[in-house]
Amino acid sequence: MIKTWSGRGSAAVATESDPTSSAPLVALVGPPNSGKSTLFNQLTGLHQKVANYPGVTVEKRFGTVSIPGHGQLDLVDLPGVNGLSPRTLDEKVTRDVLQGRLPGLRPPDGLIMIVDSTRLETQLMMVEPVLELGLPTLLVLNMADELEKRGGSLRADVIGAELGAEVARTNAKAGLGLDAVHEFLASVAAQGPRPPRSGSVERGTSARAEKAVALPVVDAFAARRQRIRAAASKAEFVPPGPSTLSRRLDGVVLHRVWGPLIFLAVVALVFQAIFTWAVPFMDGVDFLITTSGEWLGATLPNSWYRSLLVDGIWSGVGSVVIFLPQILILFLFLGLLEDSGYMARAAVIADRMMERVGLQGRAFLPLLSGYACAVPAILAARTVENERDRLATIFVTPFMTCSARLPVYALLIAAFIPEQPVLGPLMGTRAATLLGLYALGALAAVFTAFLLKRTLLRSHRTTFVMELPSYRVPTLRSIGIRLLDRSRVFLRRVGRIIMTVAIVLWVLTQVPMVDGEAPPIQDSALGTAGQLIEPVIEPLGFDWRVGIGLISSLAAREVIVGTLGTIYGVEDADEGSMELQSALQRDLDLGAAVGLLIFFAFALQCMSTVAVMRRETASWRWPILQFGYMLFLAYLGAFAANALI
Amino acid sequence: MAVGSGELSLADVPLQEEVELVRLDLPDHQLEPLLERGMLPGCRLCPVRLSPFGDPIVMLDGTLLALRREMAGCLCVRRAGPQVD
Repeated sequence: MIKTWSGRGSAAVATESDPTSSAPLVALVGPPNSGKSTLFNQLTGLHQKVANYPGVTVEKRFGTVSIPGHGQLDLVDLPGVNGLSPRTLDEKVTRDVLQGRLPGLRPPDGLIMIVDSTRLETQLMMVEPVLELGLPTLLVLNMADELEKRGGSLRADVIGAELGAEVARTNAKAGLGLDAVHEFLASVAAQGPRPPRSGSVERGTSARAEKAVALPVVDAFAARRQRIRAAASKAEFVPPGPSTLSRRLDGVVLHRVWGPLIFLAVVALVFQAIFTWAVPFMDGVDFLITTSGEWLGATLPNSWYRSLLVDGIWSGVGSVVIFLPQILILFLFLGLLEDSGYMARAAVIADRMMERVGLQGRAFLPLLSGYACAVPAILAARTVENERDRLATIFVTPFMTCSARLPVYALLIAAFIPEQPVLGPLMGTRAATLLGLYALGALAAVFTAFLLKRTLLRSHRTTFVMELPSYRVPTLRSIGIRLLDRSRVFLRRVGRIIMTVAIVLWVLTQVPMVDGEAPPIQDSALGTAGQLIEPVIEPLGFDWRVGIGLISSLAAREVIVGTLGTIYGVEDADEGSMELQSALQRDLDLGAAVGLLIFFAFALQCMSTVAVMRRETASWRWPILQFGYMLFLAYLGAFAANALI
Repeated sequence: MAVGSGELSLADVPLQEEVELVRLDLPDHQLEPLLERGMLPGCRLCPVRLSPFGDPIVMLDGTLLALRREMAGCLCVRRAGPQVD
C-alpha cells in the first residue's frame, strides 16, 4: 500500500529525496498560509516523503525535482513560520535548517521564499532575515492574480531589485508562473552543491545577533519595517481591497449568535464523521485483517512462528491499523476546514473557552483530534506558540475519549448497565453512561490543564494572535496529498511501537513452555504478572484476569477485549460477545465494572501515545509524569467507584 | 502607563475607525508575535469586527488579525484622521 505511494514509476523513485545524497538542496520557506505547501506539491508532485528531524518531531518534507540536463535537485519544505526567532519548535527548526546547523541535513544551496502578495508588507517582514543568510534566493510573490482581482497592484521587478532577490509571480494553486521557479531551480542545479561554508553563515548570524542585541526589540523590527515600506512604495504597491466574499462569510461565521452555532455544528459534523461514517470502513479493514490472519493461520504449518505472526503481530498490529479509516476521515475534515480558512475562525471562537482553563485557541484542533486518536492530536499541537501552552495541551490530550476506548466501553456497558429509559425515548441508561464517560474525560482534561497552568507550567498570561486568511476553496490535490502523508506517518509511527509491544506480549504468553507447548494463559509469564499485581488491583474489585487484561492493554486499550476472550476461553471474542459478557458478570460486580470503565477513561493505556510524547518533549520526564498521573487518577477513580457502588 | 492626550487603547476604538499604533505596552514574550506580523508603532490599524465573545479582529496591511481583548487594551493608538492616499 505504501509502495504505490512512493512514486509515479519514474526512474527517480529509487534515489528520491535521500537527505544524504549530494544533489543540490533548495529550502522552501515562508509564513503560514502563503501557499508554501501548495507550491511544494506543484514542484515535486508525489516525489516527496515526510520524515522527522533528528531529536524533534517537526516534520521534514522532502521532495525531488528533475532538472533537465542537471539531474535532480532536492527540495525541503519548511514549516510555515512568521519569523526566525526560535519561539516555537517550528521556528527553531526552520532557522537551524536555513543556517545549515541541523545535524543530518546538509546546508541548503538556495532558498525559495514565498509570500502571499495580498498581504505583502506583513509577509515581507521575514524576507530580510532570510536574505541576510546570503544564499541564492528566489522571492515568490504568490496569489499575484488575487491581488489584481481585488484592485491591488505591484511592480514585481522593482520590489525584487529593491530587496536584492530574484522574483517570480505565481498562482501556485492553479500552477501558474511556475516557469520562473523552475528556471531558478535550474540555475541552482547548474551551480551544483555549494562548497561547505564554515565561516560565512556563522558570521552572518552573529552579525545579526549583535544587531538584535544592540537595538531594543521594537526598534529592530521598526527599522526593518521602514525598509520594507520604502521598497513597497518604490514598487508602487497598492494593497488589495478587502475580499468581499471573506467579509460576508465572516459576518456569518463570526456572528454573535450564528458563529457559536456554526462552530458547534462543525464540531458535531466531525464527530458524526469519525464515529458513524468511519464505521463501515473500519469494519472493512477489520474483515481484511481477520480473514488474512485466518488465511495465514491455515497456510502456515503449526509452529511457534505461526503463533507469533498470527496471534502476536497480526492481531496486535491489526488492532491499531483498524483505526486508520477513522483517522483519515478526521484528517479529511480537518484538511477541508484548514484549507478553506475556517479553522482559524474556529480557533478564535474556541479561544475564550480554552482561556478559562489556561490554554489558547490553537489547542482546539489537537483536542478535537484527540477524540479519534491521541497520536496525531499530539503532533497537531505543534502550532501552539508558547512552549508551556503546548506542553499543557499535549499533556491533557489523552484524556479525550479516543476511539480505542470505545470497544472496551461497549463491552462493559453491554454487560453491566441494563437498558432503561433516562430521558423518555430520547436516551437510555447505556447511552447516558457512554456520554458520562466522554464528559468524565473532558472534565479530567479541564481540571488537569487548570492544575498544570497553576503549577508546573505556570506562565505569564497566555497570548493569542491569529491571522484569519481569506476563504479559499480547498483543492483535491492538496487534501489528497495530506491524507497520504497522514496515513504514512500514522502507520509508521504506530506500527513500529505496536509491533514491539505485540511481540513482547506474545512472548510473555508463550513462556515458560510446557512440553514444548505454550502454557495455559494463567501459567504464562503474562498470567503470573497478572497474579502479581492482583493485590494492588484487588481494592478496585479486579482479579488477576482483569490484571492480565490491564497489562495487555498497554499495547492499545482495546486489546483487553481479545485478552479477556482468551482468558475465558471464548472463541472470537468481540465487544458484542454474549459469552464474554456473562463470564465478566460472574467475575465483576457492578462497582468493579464501573471502576473499570473509569479506569479506562483516565489511564494512559497506550504505548504509542507514550512514545509520541517522548519524541515531542524530547525527554522521558513528561511521558513518565503523564503516565503516572493518569494512572493515579484512574486508580483513585476506580477505587472510589468500587467502594461507593 | 499614562495615556497621553489624543491617545486611547485599541480596545476603545469604535469599529471601522482607522487608527495609528503609538505604543505596545506588552512584555517582550507577548510583543514578538505582534511585531513579526508587522504590528509596529506607526502602522495603521482598523478594528473591523468583534468575535462572538467580544474580542477585536483588526485589519493590518490587508491581513485580518484576531487579538484578545486584554491584549488590545495594552495597545496604545492615536486617531489617524482621514487617510490621505
